[in-house]
Amino acid sequence: MSTKVKSNAFLVAISAVILGLIAGGLLMMAIGSNPFEGFYYLFRGGLMSMERVGNTIATAITLMLVGLSVAFAFKTGLFNIGASGQMLIGGLAATLVAHYVFLPRVIYIPVIILAAFAAGALWGVIPGFLKAKFNVHEVVATIMMNWIAYWSIYYFIPAYLKGPSLETESRSIAIEQSLRSDWLTDFFGGGYINLGIFVAVVAVIVVKYVLDKTTLGFELKAVGSNRFCAEYAGIKVNRNVIISMMIAGGLAGLAGMTFYTGYSRNIQIGVLPSMGFDGIAVALLGASNPIGVFFSALFFGLLQSGKGFMNAMTDVPPEIADTIIATIIYFTATSVLFSRFWDKVGKRKKERNDARTAKAEAQESDHE
Amino acid sequence: MKKIVVVLCVLLVLTTSLFAQGDMESGEQLLKVGMVTDAGTIDDKSFNQGTWEGILKAEEEGLVEAKYLKPSGTTEADYLKEIGNLYDAGYHFIVTPGFKFETAIFEAQDKWPDAKFVILDGEPHSADYSEFRIEDNVVGVYWAEQESGFLAGIAAALQVEEGEFGFIGGMEIPAVQKFNWGFQQGIMYANENLGTDIMLKAENVIYQGSFDNVAAGQQIAASMFDKGVDVIFAAAGGVGVGAINEAKARAKAGQDVWIIGVDVDQYPEGLYTDGKSIILTSAMKYLDRASYDMIKHELAGTFPGGTTLRLNATNDGIGIPVENPNLDADVEAKVAEMYQMLKDGSITVADTQISGLYR
Repeated sequence: MSTKVKSNAFLVAISAVILGLIAGGLLMMAIGSNPFEGFYYLFRGGLMSMERVGNTIATAITLMLVGLSVAFAFKTGLFNIGASGQMLIGGLAATLVAHYVFLPRVIYIPVIILAAFAAGALWGVIPGFLKAKFNVHEVVATIMMNWIAYWSIYYFIPAYLKGPSLETESRSIAIEQSLRSDWLTDFFGGGYINLGIFVAVVAVIVVKYVLDKTTLGFELKAVGSNRFCAEYAGIKVNRNVIISMMIAGGLAGLAGMTFYTGYSRNIQIGVLPSMGFDGIAVALLGASNPIGVFFSALFFGLLQSGKGFMNAMTDVPPEIADTIIATIIYFTATSVLFSRFWDKVGKRKKERNDARTAKAEAQESDHE
Repeated sequence: MKKIVVVLCVLLVLTTSLFAQGDMESGEQLLKVGMVTDAGTIDDKSFNQGTWEGILKAEEEGLVEAKYLKPSGTTEADYLKEIGNLYDAGYHFIVTPGFKFETAIFEAQDKWPDAKFVILDGEPHSADYSEFRIEDNVVGVYWAEQESGFLAGIAAALQVEEGEFGFIGGMEIPAVQKFNWGFQQGIMYANENLGTDIMLKAENVIYQGSFDNVAAGQQIAASMFDKGVDVIFAAAGGVGVGAINEAKARAKAGQDVWIIGVDVDQYPEGLYTDGKSIILTSAMKYLDRASYDMIKHELAGTFPGGTTLRLNATNDGIGIPVENPNLDADVEAKVAEMYQMLKDGSITVADTQISGLYR
């Protein structure tokens, strides 16, 4: 009787998305725009041509990897707010490789991936170590690491990677050294789609496998559910905290690579990439599940890349458009509420069924 | 897994075909003018706002239909996406403020050959600077910021006569550097020829490094004022707003401090009590005039495509505001005289770091 009915994560996410869209629509109505028209152009902006679909995916790739990073840390009970900094450092490592390492493409791609992952992992492992060793809260430590990355980039780019005249961004990397690839670009008819899509998809599968099928994944999740219990069971909690942050950092580093050597081709100083924070919402909507992250990143990518066209075609001012997108994200991040709601609905249904069977049984026994 | 892939592919094809249909509404006779903002907001009291006001003026006169878009980031990809959005929505005359658009416009001029582009503070070139090319559908506009900074420096020096000045820049980019160097030359000129005694120390020439960090601007201004600086020239967008806030607070407390504004007449931003403003004067470049003039040219069929315009004193592209309530009449008269000398070429202001200048 007391068995808990778990609600379907997919149902929860879909209801959160719908609520988000309704909230965004209400906001559009409040400023006197037609929400149906607004959403029509929003989706058209992201999907009306192959180039735009490619750009939507290109935006989603980075969000996907950041979302995975945050979700992975969540699983171990850690809150990785440092994805922005890890992205910057991973992106810097990838940019350095792109500028100075010349190899055949088949070797080059793994090298740049490894470099970005390692650099991001380094940026993640430090807060992990501080958490494990000195119990420094990872939220504080990762935020600090964000700013260390921000100012390191600020110093490093003008000093070593400066363009011919601009002090504020690194020189552009050659298109052959970037993650863009001719056949992919041709297929989508231009745009910023790049090989990062494969990196992201492989990462989704690998993370899914690690979490579900390996001892490491089991230990990480055990630490996340109850670290004291895990410790009692003989799991090395501190070691797992460090490993979790390392992998989370590495994934964010890959996100940086896809952004700085795929979507864009240089690093600008004085910018903390906002995707590092959007990734938190991606992970929340995806219920920290790799497959969920995959789809929620595509959804957010669509919102981000369709926004401009909605702006251009309707009377919605850009600032309000940002607010609408933020509202949708905000409401989708409240998916926790929906899991409670659907839990209750499921429970009531089960209770009713149980009552009915009990009644039937009682009747049967009366007959005997 | 295979099923999911198939379903995704079908969805993709469906949605693209669904959303690819339908066309733009036609029948609009007015020229549709679009603008993509640079980093910062449309009401940044400076670059974006100045450019937009020129476009708005044309719209208010019923000449055009205007729209601006705000990119989600400041990369070339972000800029090109917004330009594409404007183009697809029928806006084929696009104004982009800022040197950061140079590479985006370089690509856009070939991608959308039937659109017209105006880039302020820059000219199109390839990402690696190997190629500078400006097509017939593009106009680049540069200003002589050094002349504007020069005039503001002289005006402030004449008004204060004796004291210490400081400079706060945003990012260390050519436009800001030229303001700075012109400002320093203005102070030197006033000290040598006009009998003022103004000091500018190297430590009080600071580039904050961004255009949006208001808090940092306030801190830098506070430390400068503490060190005895009387007048700060803030060529720094949002960072300058922080400096203005600090100066307002100090002026309210009775301290005698001033700010020199930048890009547009910032006098209204400096108002604190009793209609008094801490903006002594502003080193202006007429952004609104440039965007407005380009629209007028386009409408008249005289769009100077393929050229790079240089706006300075000779074509009234720069200057200090017409009205400066905080300047004495004789100071304004003297500055007007200097402006004439810039115009006829009897004095020139260097746009590089000549010897004797800081940074």
